[in-house]
Amino acid sequence: MDSLVSPQLLAAAMITGVLYALISLGLNLVYGTMRLLNVAHGDLVMIGAYVAFIAFSLLNIGPLVSMFGAALICGSLGWLSYKCVFQRLLSNGQLLSRLEENSLLLFFALSVIIQNLAILFFSADRKGYEYLSAIVEIGDVRLTGARLTVLIVGAVISAAVVFFLRFSLFGLAMNALIQNRDASAIVGINVDRVQMSSLIFGFGITGLAGALISMMEPITPVMGFPYTMSAFVIIILGGLGNLWGGFLAGLLLGVLEVYGVALTGPEWRSVLVYGIFVLILIFRPQGLLGSGKTAR
Amino acid sequence: MKNSLKLVLAVVLCMFLAGVAGFADEYILGIGFTIFMYIALAQSWVVLSGLTGYISLGHVVFFGSGAYVFILIWGLVPVWLGVVFSGIVVGLVSLIVGYPVLRVRGPYFVILSFGLAELVKNLVLINEARMYVSMRPVFGAPALYQLYIAMLLLAIIATGLTYWIRRSRFGAGLRSIREDEGAAETIGVPVAKLKLLAFAISGVIPAMVGAIFIMRSGIFQSGDAFTPIVSFTMVTMAIIGGSDDAPGPFLGVVFLVLLQELLWVNWPEVYMIILGILLLGFVLFIPNGIYGWLSEKYFGNKKNVT
Repeated sequence: MDSLVSPQLLAAAMITGVLYALISLGLNLVYGTMRLLNVAHGDLVMIGAYVAFIAFSLLNIGPLVSMFGAALICGSLGWLSYKCVFQRLLSNGQLLSRLEENSLLLFFALSVIIQNLAILFFSADRKGYEYLSAIVEIGDVRLTGARLTVLIVGAVISAAVVFFLRFSLFGLAMNALIQNRDASAIVGINVDRVQMSSLIFGFGITGLAGALISMMEPITPVMGFPYTMSAFVIIILGGLGNLWGGFLAGLLLGVLEVYGVALTGPEWRSVLVYGIFVLILIFRPQGLLGSGKTAR
Repeated sequence: MKNSLKLVLAVVLCMFLAGVAGFADEYILGIGFTIFMYIALAQSWVVLSGLTGYISLGHVVFFGSGAYVFILIWGLVPVWLGVVFSGIVVGLVSLIVGYPVLRVRGPYFVILSFGLAELVKNLVLINEARMYVSMRPVFGAPALYQLYIAMLLLAIIATGLTYWIRRSRFGAGLRSIREDEGAAETIGVPVAKLKLLAFAISGVIPAMVGAIFIMRSGIFQSGDAFTPIVSFTMVTMAIIGGSDDAPGPFLGVVFLVLLQELLWVNWPEVYMIILGILLLGFVLFIPNGIYGWLSEKYFGNKKNVT
């Protein structure tokens, strides 16, 4: 076992943390703007990973290019699901009264459909490809080129996304919607359009993260599920709908997970994640950074 | 229909179903077993999630825990005593666990129920790995027709329970929680107590179902016993049928089990996809389920959304 202060472990924690932060950002956007609980979120990671895999093995395009394709494809799925499913959900008074529960059931159904379609198309076997697998040494840290790339690209993209949400007009509109839907409609924000865009944007960055993940992990139709769970742990840790809180919580969970597993053992990983999850929900459902009021 | 006539019909039907066990072949008994199993599960789900609106996506936790308790005491006590014992143990534990869990409301509860089921599953997995068991075979289980009768009995109890609770003072309290928990509490409904009771009742029968189920499958594997597919099927059946009253899940189950019979063996993926599409369609277009829709259309009863 590595010693706990080793830079090796720190690097691993950073990689996991950056990916978590990016993935949970997409989930948080969708929840924050529309109060939709997307339990199919991890399946977007899976789709992104398959896009990168196909691009690499059939077209010989590297994941650093195809990740934008993955973002595009997942974004279109976001558009499609908004048009077909969620626009109806969000405009129907009867369904709206139990919005979160209904959205959860709908995404649950979508997740089952997507996963089984993936099994039909790609079979349940693990897939993977070799990309930048040479070992790079920086000081004491030994990483594969792929993991180093994921760390750098992931960090750059996360920063870009946060910057975008903070300072662009579109990002501000999303923030406004998160804070108060009715008031943002009154000041002239096109709520319907911002909602659709956040779904597209949230889905897109998750697909992109999936393409990054495909560089380091085997690809299977059910690979997304742990990411769904981690993303939920993160946005609840950070406070539902709180973008900054979620971002920090993503990094935090990465650190907790990597160090926790180093202390106990890989079989404890799930117990650790779900344990944090259950405890947070019971004792601090408003999140670590949240005020006394729960986001509802 | 008069209530007494309904009751007579129900009794005749149950006796017929029990009588079938005497001469039906394995295949028919197997289908019957599955139908009764899901009726018992879906009805139990309705007691908690249909009536109180606390939607549980992790009901398999009761099923799996019941199976686990049962396999641990397998061979130590008589079979049927073991089944009842598993139900009681799980019921008591859920009384303790339910107390903090049910303070979490709305969407948080939905996610929590799911997370809890996964947590328990992983703890059992670790525990099993520690004892170096990957699976536990069940030797010398009772014959299929006995299991069939037992499952029929559980289905009857679960249906009767849902029917009775729905019409009792207790059920009225539970439904007031669904409509507006805060208001219910203000006018003096003991919401915490009612929720907890519903949670425990909703767990006992799935636990016993789980115990009987592993005698049928002949093996206990923690991954299978706690699979989220069981939770998913339960929820879909209840929602498709209609989750506000006892007849609803009944309709949903018969429909889906027959579909499963047609597709599961050769095209399991297609089956799951159809299940997903059905759930999607029902939530969006027929949120009251088949039963709610029928009774609205033909009997003019306006049902509440669940």
